[in-house]
Amino acid sequence: MNRRLARVTPGRIVALAALVLLALEPTLAPYIHVDVTIVSAALLFTIAALSANLLLGYTGLPPFGNAAFFGLGAYGCALSIKYLNVHFFTATIFGMLAALLGALIVAPFLVRRRGIYFGLLSIAFGQVFYFIAYRFTDVTGGEDGMAVTRPYLAISSFTLKETAFYYLSLVVFILSILAFKAIVQSPFGRTLVAIRQNEVRVRYLGLDSNRFVFVAILISALFAGLSGALSALLNGFIAPLQLDWHQSGDFVLATILGGSGTVWGPLIGSIIFVIGRDIISTITPYWQIFIGALFVACVLGFPRGILGTILARFGAAPLSNEPEEANWTQSPAIAVDHHG
Amino acid sequence: MSGSAFNRRTFVKGAGVGAAALVMGVPAFIPRLGEAADAIKIGVLEPYTGTYAFPGENETIGIQMAIDAWNKKGGVLGRQIEIVKEDEQSKPDVAAQKARKLVNQDKCVALIGTVSSGSSISVQKASSDMGVLFFASGGHTDDVTGKNCTWNTFRTCHSTWMEAHATGYTLAKKFGKKFYFITPDYAFGHALQTAFDDVIKQIGGSTVGTDLTPLGTTDFSSYLTKVGPAKPDVLVVLVQGDDYTNCMKQADSFGLLKKFPVGGPQVELEPLYGLAPEARTGFWGIEWSYSSDLCLGKGNKAAHQFVKDYFAHYLNTQKKPPTARQCFGYVSMDRMLAGMAAAKTTDSVKVARAIEGEKFQSIFIDGGYYRKEDHQLMWPMWVAGIRPNGTPSDPNDLLDVIAKHDADTIEQSVAEKAKICKIVYPS
Amino acid sequence: MLEHVGPQLFNGLVLGAFYAIVAIGLSLIMNLTGTINMAHGSFMTLAGYLAFSMIARGTNFWFAFLVAPLLAVLVAIIVERTLIRPLYGRDPVYSLLLTFGLSLIAEELFHVVWGANTLPFAPPAALGGTLALGFMNFPVYRLFIVIVLVFAFGLLGLFLYRTRFGLRLRAAVQDSEMIAALGTNTQLLYTINFGLGILLAGIAGVLAVGLLGLNPTTGNTLLMPAFVTVIIGGMGSLYGSLVAGVLIGVATSLMTLYVPAASEVVIYILMAVVLTIRPRGLFGEEGLFG
Repeated sequence: MNRRLARVTPGRIVALAALVLLALEPTLAPYIHVDVTIVSAALLFTIAALSANLLLGYTGLPPFGNAAFFGLGAYGCALSIKYLNVHFFTATIFGMLAALLGALIVAPFLVRRRGIYFGLLSIAFGQVFYFIAYRFTDVTGGEDGMAVTRPYLAISSFTLKETAFYYLSLVVFILSILAFKAIVQSPFGRTLVAIRQNEVRVRYLGLDSNRFVFVAILISALFAGLSGALSALLNGFIAPLQLDWHQSGDFVLATILGGSGTVWGPLIGSIIFVIGRDIISTITPYWQIFIGALFVACVLGFPRGILGTILARFGAAPLSNEPEEANWTQSPAIAVDHHG
Repeated sequence: MSGSAFNRRTFVKGAGVGAAALVMGVPAFIPRLGEAADAIKIGVLEPYTGTYAFPGENETIGIQMAIDAWNKKGGVLGRQIEIVKEDEQSKPDVAAQKARKLVNQDKCVALIGTVSSGSSISVQKASSDMGVLFFASGGHTDDVTGKNCTWNTFRTCHSTWMEAHATGYTLAKKFGKKFYFITPDYAFGHALQTAFDDVIKQIGGSTVGTDLTPLGTTDFSSYLTKVGPAKPDVLVVLVQGDDYTNCMKQADSFGLLKKFPVGGPQVELEPLYGLAPEARTGFWGIEWSYSSDLCLGKGNKAAHQFVKDYFAHYLNTQKKPPTARQCFGYVSMDRMLAGMAAAKTTDSVKVARAIEGEKFQSIFIDGGYYRKEDHQLMWPMWVAGIRPNGTPSDPNDLLDVIAKHDADTIEQSVAEKAKICKIVYPS
Repeated sequence: MLEHVGPQLFNGLVLGAFYAIVAIGLSLIMNLTGTINMAHGSFMTLAGYLAFSMIARGTNFWFAFLVAPLLAVLVAIIVERTLIRPLYGRDPVYSLLLTFGLSLIAEELFHVVWGANTLPFAPPAALGGTLALGFMNFPVYRLFIVIVLVFAFGLLGLFLYRTRFGLRLRAAVQDSEMIAALGTNTQLLYTINFGLGILLAGIAGVLAVGLLGLNPTTGNTLLMPAFVTVIIGGMGSLYGSLVAGVLIGVATSLMTLYVPAASEVVIYILMAVVLTIRPRGLFGEEGLFG
């Protein structure tokens, strides 16, 4: 056990190097012309991409409603500040709880479906949340959105400024990745992968796959809610557009771009997507063509994502990363038990 | 075997990280064109993609015209002015991020722009957090100079309250006091409705029907068929932009435009051009017109020169005459630079103090001033009928201005505003 | 209140006819090859823009109305052969993302070529005006839309159920391996199927811009309701898309009478209900998705 934890693998050295690079970003910023705020945004985006990755890459379900959990996290955080006057971390927790609550409401319906029905159902629920946020102007500010005042940290009357917020994002990101890694490498995580590969067999082995999917949705919502809450605090603002299914699509794209089914893939995908979009939109007003082309190129050329493709090239691709063969016989719900 | 696999894995991860680092490093090599040393940089945040791209481009032209005029005179404080443009995509989160980028990374001393209300509010928040001047040139929501007001933000275009009152009074006078409203069911619509309710209260009118059209409505037929039986004096259309175009088009197809007078708080040339001539009708609030002396002022040299300059430099490329958006952009930038010149600094606090309350003449009649209490530009607003095909000499000249309302008659008084807005300068 | 119901029903029918025709196109494409075409709206918009440009150059409306969808089909065939074909057999998520990317590119290209502003597109004078129907004045153009769509629907039905080619198409849906083994060129079949779906989209597109205005995002507003229609009606079922389209159109219109705020979200609620209770829809057949 000790040997395993203390092993200094080359992989871990590289990961450490990446983190050192990120840690030095504020110092490097003036030279590489990438502002801390945008990297913070990219890191928080990664957490949301991880939430999509858990469902798509590991469980095999397309999560096109995760922006709703993201938004619930953001509004939960913002509303708790507005009405309850809580501090920074408490507000974040409120956000995550709001997302969890939303997941508890929709997950019972979502678990009964697989494949594209799951995706469409998640879009439907996501859109309902979107309309709620839009409609209840008095509470949420409606279309104009809500301004969010960054509250004090609970441990001191000290409000985080840009650089400090960046480091907080970095720490939260590291914790998230460690948590994610622990989850997917645990028996629970491996069961999710098994469900993705052959759910019928999992059920024949006596496991209630629906329960695993249920928990996966809850965990996914927690990640997305965390991302949403911190994003609201980063931008000082939340608007209903951030719950729209296009936003969910962005999370899914970042995951697939980087490599769904890998732990570090979403980070790469998010950095390319968030920072890349920022850079390209500065250079040309026709940036949308490039983003669209990125979608197309990614699907055609890198269906396993950048990290996945590179890993596969060297024979080290995770099993959960193959571009899915359409399962022709896959029914919309697992009909093994007759209550489903 | 396992040894070399680990090496490959390392290489692979390194390549991935390297790719990420490259992405982050690339911007260092992108030259910011035309950077003159010591220039004053102003950040321009406009939508260049999406629904509001056209007004966004138009505002930018106005901004550019102001900059060119000042640079010709030697700039401000002996320095030339430059703008750095960013596409805020009408997305509030992107707008906030770009605002921070412009200030932190590109070292802009002030920000200007936005069209959609959401972006206006989010940039207002971001700029106030950073303590940087922001001119909200084109976002109409009351909140910018209402409950969200901040010392660093000035708003040029008219507020929704002003729009409702200017048109409400004129419509009632022309047609009668029974109104039927088609209102978009979101914040902007609600604000307009509240303002119109105030007008109705003041003139003793009545609302014979209100349709709240939810977000995403492209087919207004269900609402339009209810108008006839209600027999209003005036059909008031509060929806904007593409929704306005759809609604008017469909109203025309139902024959409503021939049966009832129609009007509303705001129309811009941009959506009007999207309508076929048969649907171009009604009486609408407008915020500026390039062709009417009621807007420009008969002897106003600056105003007429502005229009002339636009025709000389931009008509060929844009193919359309200047709209109110060019006016917003120009006035905002012009006053910001004037403020800097007067305060003899680019320090936001000092410039803000120099701007507020200062009366000035500009490219519209009578002149105006940014009110000290809420930083709203107090300038006239007009009501116009529509010429479906323009004039014989200018088919684009669609607005037939018939009335002018002075700012004090249509905006909330200082006392009323004080209940929701309190401007506090940093100590 | 009751005198309002009549007009709403009519409006709902027109709306429903639109949803139905777009949904059928989507359904055809989805059912045969498992391709989720998020660019369907873009093809509609493309047809609208092409029609606009043709009319601006002097052709009359009827010519543009016939030719523009065909041009859109041409583009569609190129797209299908180069970009969509590699995705056959893969998880539908990929086609969803790819076509979504295409829709982003298309939107921006429209912006570049035709400008960001809404373009004035009026139906010809012959189709203007209203019919006095007693309880409401019904725009002639909307009536025209319904007639065209019913006609297209009927032709499609004839094609699918009364021609040999239609027979092959339906056979391929059930078992494309078998039909390939029997000698049919399935790749060609897929291409023609895609083109057929886009033809319907193109027709709907040209009709829609007369109703909704022409800008880079016109087609996209009809896309989501069309997906919902496909789900509720059941994939692969012509009849199902028609019924579901009308159902949704009428539901949306009637909602505006009673709970207007919910009228745009009611389609998502209906979709959620159908997906939960009976995911293959009202008349769903066995297809790719079960």
